[in-house]
Order: sequence, then structure tokens, then C-alpha cells
Amino acid sequence: MEAEKRFLNLENRILYLIDIKGDNIYPGFFELKAKADKLKKNFYQLSSGEILSEMESLEEMLAFYEIKAERDLTPMEIARIVRNPQRFTLRDILDNVYDDYSELGGAGDCNIDPAIVVARADISRKIGNRIYSHQVMVIGHEKGKGEEFRNGGSAKPWGNEKALRYMKVAETEGIPIHIYISTPGAYPIEDYPGSAQQIARNLYEMTKLKVPIISVISEGGSGGAEAIGLSDMRLMLSHGYYSVISPEGAAAIEGKIPEGKKAPKELIDFCAEQLKITAQDSLSLGVVDRIIPEPPLGARKEDDGFFRRLRYEMLRATDEVVLSTKTFRTLRAYSVKRRRKMPIEGEFDVDIRWELSHKERMRLLRLRSKKYRSMGTRFFVDLRHPFKKFMDKASSGLRYFYTEVYFDLLKKHKRSVEKVIEEVSQEGTIALAPIKNPFKSIYTFIKDRFPRRVLRPIDHRLPVNAVADFGEIYVSPLANEDRVITCPNSHTHGCLDLWVPDLYGDLHGVCPNCGHHFPLEYQWYLKTLFDKGSVREFNSHIGSTNSIGYKGFDRKIQGDQKKTKRKSAIITFLARINGIELVVAMLYSNFRNGTVGAAEGEKFVLACDHARALKLPLLAYVHATGGIRIHEGTVGVVQMPKCTMAVREYIDAGGLYIVVYDNNSYAGPVASFLGCSPYQFAIKSSNIGFAGPRVIRETTGEDIPPDYHRADNALKRGHIQGIWDRRTFRKNLYMALLTMGGKNLYYR
Amino acid sequence: MERVLIANRGEIAIRIMKACQDLGLDYVMIYTKEDQNSLHVKLAEQNQKDRKRLFRVSSYRDPNDLFEVADITSSTAIHPGYGFIAEDYRVARRAVTRERPIKFIGPRWQVLKDFGNKINTKKIASALGIPSIPGSEGPIYNEMEAEDIAVRLFEMQQEQGIPNPSILIKPSTGGGGMGIEEVVHIDQFRRIYRQVRNYSKRQFGDEGVLIEQYIKNVNHIEVQLVCSQHKEIVHCGTRNCTIQTGRRQKRIEVAPGLDFSQAYKFDPQRILETIISYSIRMARYVDYDSLGTWEWLVTKEGTPYLLEVNPRIQVENAVSSRITTFKNRASSINLIREQIRLALGDKLGYKQNDLSFKGVSIEFRIVAEDTKRGFIPWSGCISNFQLPTYSWLDVYTHVPNTEPYVIPSEYDPNLALAVVWGETFKEAKERGLKFLSEAIIEGENGYGDPVTTNIEFLKNNIDNLCRYNYSGCH
Repeated sequence: MEAEKRFLNLENRILYLIDIKGDNIYPGFFELKAKADKLKKNFYQLSSGEILSEMESLEEMLAFYEIKAERDLTPMEIARIVRNPQRFTLRDILDNVYDDYSELGGAGDCNIDPAIVVARADISRKIGNRIYSHQVMVIGHEKGKGEEFRNGGSAKPWGNEKALRYMKVAETEGIPIHIYISTPGAYPIEDYPGSAQQIARNLYEMTKLKVPIISVISEGGSGGAEAIGLSDMRLMLSHGYYSVISPEGAAAIEGKIPEGKKAPKELIDFCAEQLKITAQDSLSLGVVDRIIPEPPLGARKEDDGFFRRLRYEMLRATDEVVLSTKTFRTLRAYSVKRRRKMPIEGEFDVDIRWELSHKERMRLLRLRSKKYRSMGTRFFVDLRHPFKKFMDKASSGLRYFYTEVYFDLLKKHKRSVEKVIEEVSQEGTIALAPIKNPFKSIYTFIKDRFPRRVLRPIDHRLPVNAVADFGEIYVSPLANEDRVITCPNSHTHGCLDLWVPDLYGDLHGVCPNCGHHFPLEYQWYLKTLFDKGSVREFNSHIGSTNSIGYKGFDRKIQGDQKKTKRKSAIITFLARINGIELVVAMLYSNFRNGTVGAAEGEKFVLACDHARALKLPLLAYVHATGGIRIHEGTVGVVQMPKCTMAVREYIDAGGLYIVVYDNNSYAGPVASFLGCSPYQFAIKSSNIGFAGPRVIRETTGEDIPPDYHRADNALKRGHIQGIWDRRTFRKNLYMALLTMGGKNLYYR
Repeated sequence: MERVLIANRGEIAIRIMKACQDLGLDYVMIYTKEDQNSLHVKLAEQNQKDRKRLFRVSSYRDPNDLFEVADITSSTAIHPGYGFIAEDYRVARRAVTRERPIKFIGPRWQVLKDFGNKINTKKIASALGIPSIPGSEGPIYNEMEAEDIAVRLFEMQQEQGIPNPSILIKPSTGGGGMGIEEVVHIDQFRRIYRQVRNYSKRQFGDEGVLIEQYIKNVNHIEVQLVCSQHKEIVHCGTRNCTIQTGRRQKRIEVAPGLDFSQAYKFDPQRILETIISYSIRMARYVDYDSLGTWEWLVTKEGTPYLLEVNPRIQVENAVSSRITTFKNRASSINLIREQIRLALGDKLGYKQNDLSFKGVSIEFRIVAEDTKRGFIPWSGCISNFQLPTYSWLDVYTHVPNTEPYVIPSEYDPNLALAVVWGETFKEAKERGLKFLSEAIIEGENGYGDPVTTNIEFLKNNIDNLCRYNYSGCH
């Protein structure tokens, strides 16, 4: 029996290696495989001695190949390790790392989303002979073992919503959260609460969740990973991958592969390599904090040593996060640090309590903010002269100082005095009423008999014009053509064909009959949306680079920079609408299709901070965005939590953050710093969503109607707050500035 | 050789065609499927022996079709008539800015644009010190601001001692009297304001409204101006168009604008001169370069208010033509001919002094409609259509008198315009009555009901011409 088991294990290892190496399997390995097959065939004819010796030699050969394979592991092979059914899942972790656990909100397929598992668990450590245990909330993706209903760990919107709900429970109860990320990506459907919108909501809440969060990445599939990935300590397994897109997806885009066809293997391997998806890459890009080593060729279900190590790492990471919030921590920190040198789990010297005081929680949040804000800051270029840099800093510093003195010190004080006076006088009015009323009625009686004879002139105040004034208007270069366009709704609405100079001229690209919006270039908005001459750009010198050294991407970036005469896909500027100053961040389509990378993220964060310091409203106008820039890999992905952090801090400071989507807005940005806004509007005829129709078809296997992502459907699903007509954009924006937002705006 | 594309239907198309023939210009006529039995189609058909002059289009409103026909026939000018595209500055602009430009018979598109907008007309008027109806000078979007204006309009009317003061709320975009509501007490204001605002948003995609004083008991008097592209301006007197249907559609027009034999509370001569000089002042200011009509409301007390400017030929142009005569030629002016001639770049060739006004001319619009039931249009087949002929009578119609004619339900059921002339108001009115009594219009619809026309309504209202204090004065 023993021999059979041993052989079975041997066979599994052989199959595993074949799975992982794929077509790159060593030529000599087939010999080994043939020998093993032969042994299997003759297993019961041979004597036990012969079997044993044969197996020993096979094991020796296999070990040789395994070491060799581990040494020249390619990124694509790592991806295959992660996806292999022999790899451990969350269930194994719960069984082996935690002492005791109870799953919340699910049992097998009886679950709102079986791809996400939540459990209250105990994790314990031994100090001397005593055992100390801690309560934690474990949240993660469960790929399941041959369980179709787990959807391969691809969380649906309501799965992510469940995760968020239990994170809040953890916050209420004050226990740390351990997160295990193992997902190929989020399930791209728009049903409420919506893939993108729910991820955005999760990120928004997690930025200020008042408990330590530790995350471990095994399979970090972009948005799906970020949905539960924002944490104080980001650990990564040595054989895990973390990527902006699956190598296959990247290859399909890079090679412009038509739907239904497979990308060539070489291209997939190339993309896997260029995307910098391995643990070592992630560590050097600064998107994870530490790597947890796994046994060669990755941990499998039966690797007990690995689970012991994982338990130790989780305890240590949580300790470190907790200790970082303490003011008096030198000794204990030292004790934890010393452990780092230990090869594997050992005994702990002290037990560190994981509850945090109010002050410590605030420090935790500050550190989290700092951590995310610093991500990706190495990966863009600032082309200013050092002296200019200094002058810019000095001038904005002065303005910040002035705003602070004027609004926070003087105005706040004045307001509170006014409030007191008002309250006192109101009290007085009520007290005096019985005495005053008889006189008042006599006065009113007399007044009414002698009505006023003052004729006031009719007010000629200028109204808010829908679009600019009657004077000169900006005319799109699209208008310089003598031809007609057929409105796409002409067969249903009977629209007449539109003459191009009219359509792109004073019709503002809108069909006058059905209101269909034809796309207009971003310059149109710059010229017509804001008060004349009020647009002042800042940080235009921050430019995109080839941050992760993606082969051939330098040329593309340079091409776009030359074409657009701009350095990144986002324009940040100050502008005015009817005199109200505001900060605008505009993602536009001409530069890398409005994708977000390190430079765009940094500019957005700076825009948030600028708006916060000057107490200005903040508008994110999305002319178009294609998502996170895949050529910046995970450096791009971490812009999601980074920008959300800045937005959260801006909103918490009492600002007004309005997002307006136009044309096509998809993926990462919508699933983070755009989708988290309480005020999201869409321009008519625009599309908003998480993934495009092709990705939806390929992942869900279902076709979607052509208007699936249309603004009106987004509104119907509750993703946005309203649809704006381009012609009344300016007016709506002005009304929004007047009526929405927090109390900390300069004009309030 | 100039070739004019006549982009209209019915009687105006025929009148433009005749004017072209008089001027020796070639022309091209269009029609739609519904209009194939109209007289304008038949006349054009008869006149295309040497070349094709008649084309079918999908709609008189579709500029794409019109320019297509213009290009095929190498037309050099387009006459929009009235209605349809006549006041669409975009069509006018497209005509002159396209790769193969075509002259637009009407004012420059910039002028069309300025006068197409009620607010802008008002702005120009007030800049020139010309009185327009008191109220907001631009679209109002803010409820507080709207109420403020309404309160002041009510106060102002009370101070002027106007009985039953009231105001109107109108959508700032759109036209044709759609969505206009009256407010008689300030307490109703918010409710009605919101109603109009929502209507306007639904209908025109814009929430802006205008608020105006509702001026009652007025006469609707208009001034006909003739301007050339060489900064020449003459006027062809005034017309009174107060007799209208419940839906503000004109039914009887008379020139001159007031009947001097009647007793008014004001000096009629002076009022007419005032509004003529105001109109000319405004035309000069915008450098007006075609035919145009300035419409005025004149109250019982004799206060004029500018209502709007119609930058096109009007239906009722014939009453002015009829009474405006050249002193030395002993013939009356033809406004349509003048409009085409001036649009092609001609100079006027005469001065105001060369024109004199002789007699009184009344136009009756004969329409198949039920005047007792809210003027709803009647559609059916006209089997007998006989109008008398007199030397003092001109009839403009597209209804053939030799064969049955089915009124297309797609368009207004206008049947004919009859213009009578007399030395005096008395004579013109008598001749009008005579004509109306002799007109024979017979026919029936699919249910066997006989045709209903507005002839009785016209007869009953002849005596109300140029008068105040009757129900038609609003």
C-alpha cells in the first residue's frame, strides 16, 4: 500500500511538472515519463524490491528536473502554477493556518457569491508553553476544488459587497482583517451593485477602515484583486502573480487578435514577461511589501511546512502593522524584527495585543495614506527646472497658507460667533412675541392701506447660458466638411440627415431631433464649458514614461506625446464657471486612449490635494478612459487605491467631487477613483462600465445587448446619479456647484 | 441665367413661380407625395416642355433633399416662401457656405439668427430704446429670480391701474405659442412656473422660461419694410392682423393698419408713424437686407410694444402690395417680385417719396376648419370650388376648380386667399361681404359630412376690423 501511495505521489508530480512547463518541457523528461508509465503498467508484476529501486531512481531524476524547472521558471509558467488545480485554495489556508473558524454568509453553493469566502477565525501563537490566540476576519477568494459554482474565484459585484460588509463588521469589533487574493479578475457584469461601482465602493471604504488589514496575493488579477486588496501590509507569495491583465488578454490586445481566435503562444509568453507579474518584480516595483517563500514549484495542498510559514508570516505582519501605530514601541519592534532572520516559524517572545486605541487608529490611517500615496512616485518624469520647481512650490505654499488663515482661522471663528448670535436672537424673538404681536398687527394694517409706491426696474441679470454666450463660439475642426451624417436613431426617430458644419457647429454635436450625442474632441469642452480664458493648467510637466520597461512602449509614448503635444493622458487645471473657481482633472482619449498610469495617477492625486488645500470643488471630466494602462503593469493597478485615497481624503475634508463621464469610460478608473464619487453624471449617449462587450462574452460566455453600457442603463442600475445633455452641461455643472457638496468650499 | 428653386408648396409656390416668370428667371418646383394633386404641381408640369422643372422630395423641411435638387438642376437661388425652412438660419447659412453656394432669398443668415430668438430681438429693441413687452430679458432658470420678476410685473400693472393684471410664462425656446400659460395671481405663480419649466424641458430640452406682462385688449399691427443689400430702406405701410383664431392664427388682414374714420383714444396717424419709424430704426441698426415685417401690439390707450420680427415674406403681403403704388408708374408694387430681385443683388430703384398709398385692401383666408369647435381642421375632398371674379378682387389658391381636390391632412387646410380692394374701409368691407356671400365651396369627407369652412366666421368679423374691446382682442 505504501508503495502505491508513493507512486501516486510521484505520478502527480510528473503531471504537475508537465502542466507547468507546457510546451517548454525538457526533451529528456519524456524518457522519465515513459519509464514511469512502464512502471505503472508493470506495477503488480514486479517485486517490491524492484519497484522500490525503480521508484528511487525515478524520484532522483524527477528531483533533478524539478530543481532545474524551479531555476528557470518563466512568468507564464508561474501563471500556470497559480492556476493549477493542485495549488492550495483558501479552504486549505483556513484549515491549516487558523485554529478554528466559522464561515459567514455561505455554505458551499448556498451562498450569495461562493467565489468570496468570509470567516471569523482564530490564529494563535505559542510563547513559552502558553498559547495566545487572536480573533481575525478572514476574507478571500475561493477557487474551489472542481467546484464549478465557485466561478474560479471570480467575484460577482454582490460578492465584493459581501466582503465589504464583513470588513465593516471587523471594524466595529476592532479585529484585524486577513485577506487572501486569488482571483483571475472580477466577474464583469453590470447588474446592481455593478462590478466597477462596487470595487470603487470597496476601495473608498477600505482607505479609512480603522483596523489593520493584511493582504496576501496568490493570484492578483487586476480589478478583482484590488476589490479587497487595499491593505496596510501587502504580502505576496513567491510563486504568485499580480497583474493588470491576464497575459492572454494582453496578447489579444497587443496582437489585435480578432475575437474567437487564440493569440500565438510566443506573444503570450512575451506579454507575461513584459507585464512584470512575478513576486520579485512586484517587490522591486514597490507594489508589495514582502515575499512569502513557497516550496519549489509552488505550494500545494499537502505542503504543511508552507502553511506553518504562512501562519508565522501573518502573525508577524499583523504585529508589525499594530506596532507601527504605537508611540512606545522600540523594544517590541526589535523583538519582531529579530524574527525576520529566523528561517521559519519559531516561538514569539511577547504577545502583542491587536486592539488599537483611537489615537493609534488615526496613526494607522495616516500611515496607510502615506503608503499608498508614495506608490508609483518613481515612475513618471518631472521636466521642470529645479528652480522652477522651487518657485512653484513656494507660490502654491503661500496660497495654501492664505486659504488656511482666511478660511480655517478667521472665517470659521466668525461663523461660530454668528451662529451664537443667531440662536440667541431667535430665542429672544419667541420670548418677545406675545408682547410684540399686537403692535405688529396694527403696523401691518396701516402699511397695507398705504402701499409702497416704489417702482423697481425689472432685473436684467444675465442668466446662466446653456453653452457660452451669443458671441463667438468655438467650432470643432470636425465641422470643416461639406457633407451630411445620418443619425443612428434615424430609423426609429425619423431624424433628418445632419449637415456636418451645423452638427459640429452650433448644434454642439447633438442631433436636434432625438438628442443623440456625437463624440466631440476634448478641446471643445476646454473652450466652451468654462468662463472665457479662465483655464489655467498645472503640473503639465509631469509626463508618462515606460515605467516597467515594457519592450517597444517608449516609441508609443513618444508618438502620442508628439501627436497630442501633451505629456500624459490627464490634464489638470483651474477654471471658473460663472465666477466659481474649481479644479478639473480631465482624462482624454487622444493619449493612449485615456488610460491611467503612474503619471496620470500622480497628477490626479495632486489635483485632489490642490483642491483640498484651496477649498475648491473638484470635477473629474472623463472624456474617455480605456482603463488602467496595461503597459505600466501593476504600477498602473496601484493607481486605483492611490487615487481613491486622495479622493477619500478630499471628500472627508468637506469638498465637492463631481464625476462626469463622456464617450466611453471603462475598467480600472471607473472601478476606483471615479466610481467612488457620490456625484456621478454621464453625458447622454456615453458608455460606462467595467469591461467591454468582448471581455464580457469571453468571460461569461453570454452575449450582451448593444446598449448594455449606455448611460441610461447605468442610471437604471443605479450606478450614476443623472444624465446630462452636452448643451446644458455648463448650466448643470453650475447648479451642481451651488447645491451639492460638503461645507468646506470657499464660496460657501 | 439665375434659376430659383421654389422650396414651398401651395399658393405661395404659385405666386413665387409667377414672380419668377415676370422677372424672366428660370425656376424649379418641388412637391411631396401628398401634394401631387395641388395646382402648384399641375402648373409646373405644364411649364416643363423644354426642361424638367418639377421634382418630388420627401419633405419640404429636409434641407438635404432641397440642396440635392438644387445641385441636380444647377439652381442659383432658393426661395423658402413662408413656413418650413423660411426662418431656419442654419439652412440659410448652409446655402451660402456650402461648396457650391446658392443665394438664399431672404435676409442674411446672421440676421435670421438674431431675429429667430425672441430674447435677442428684445435685447436689440431695448438697446435702441424701442418699447417691448415688459418682462424678463433672458431665459430664467432660477425659481427665486422668476418669482421676483413676476411680483414686480404684478406690482407694476397695479400701479398703472390695469384691471385684472396677469402675466404669461413661456418656454424660452420653441415657438408657435406652445406651452404658454397665463398667471392671474401671484399665488399661482410657482405651480404654473414649474409646469411650464417641466414642459419646456420635456419638449425643447431646456428649462429656461420667459416671463412677460400679459397685455390685453390690443390691436396687432405690423409694418412692412423693404430693404436692399445696398442699405436702402423703404416701408410699404402697415397692416392690421388682429382678427385671429383662438390659436392665434391670422384670418383677416387689412391695410392700412388703422381705420382713421373710427374714434380711438389716441391719434392713429401718429401711432402708425411711430411704429414705422421704430421699425426702420431697428432695420437700419441690424443692417437688414431683405423684406421683413415688424409686428407690434398697440393697446387701447395707444402704447405700442414690439412683439417680434418676421424676417421673411408673409402670407398677407398682398394687402400691402395692393395699396402701395408707384406715383409715376400708376401700378402697385409686387412684394414677392421685389424680394427676389433684391436678394439677387439689385438696387431698389425708387425712394419712399415715389410710393403712395391708395385705398383699403382686406385679405380673407379661407380655411377648411370648424370655427365653432376650436378651429379644428377639416379634411376631405373638395368637389366644387367656385370663387367669383371681379376687377377689385385677387384670389390666390392652389385648389383646382376643374377637378375634385383632396386636402392633404399633413398640411394646414388653407384653401384660398382672397384680397379685395376699395376706395374706403366702407367700400372694401362691402365688397368683402359680397365676395364671401358668392363663394361656393362644396365637398365631403369619408363619413359623408359636408365641408366646413370659416366663411361665416370671416363674415361675422368684418365689422370688428381695426376695433378695440371685442373678444378677439385677447
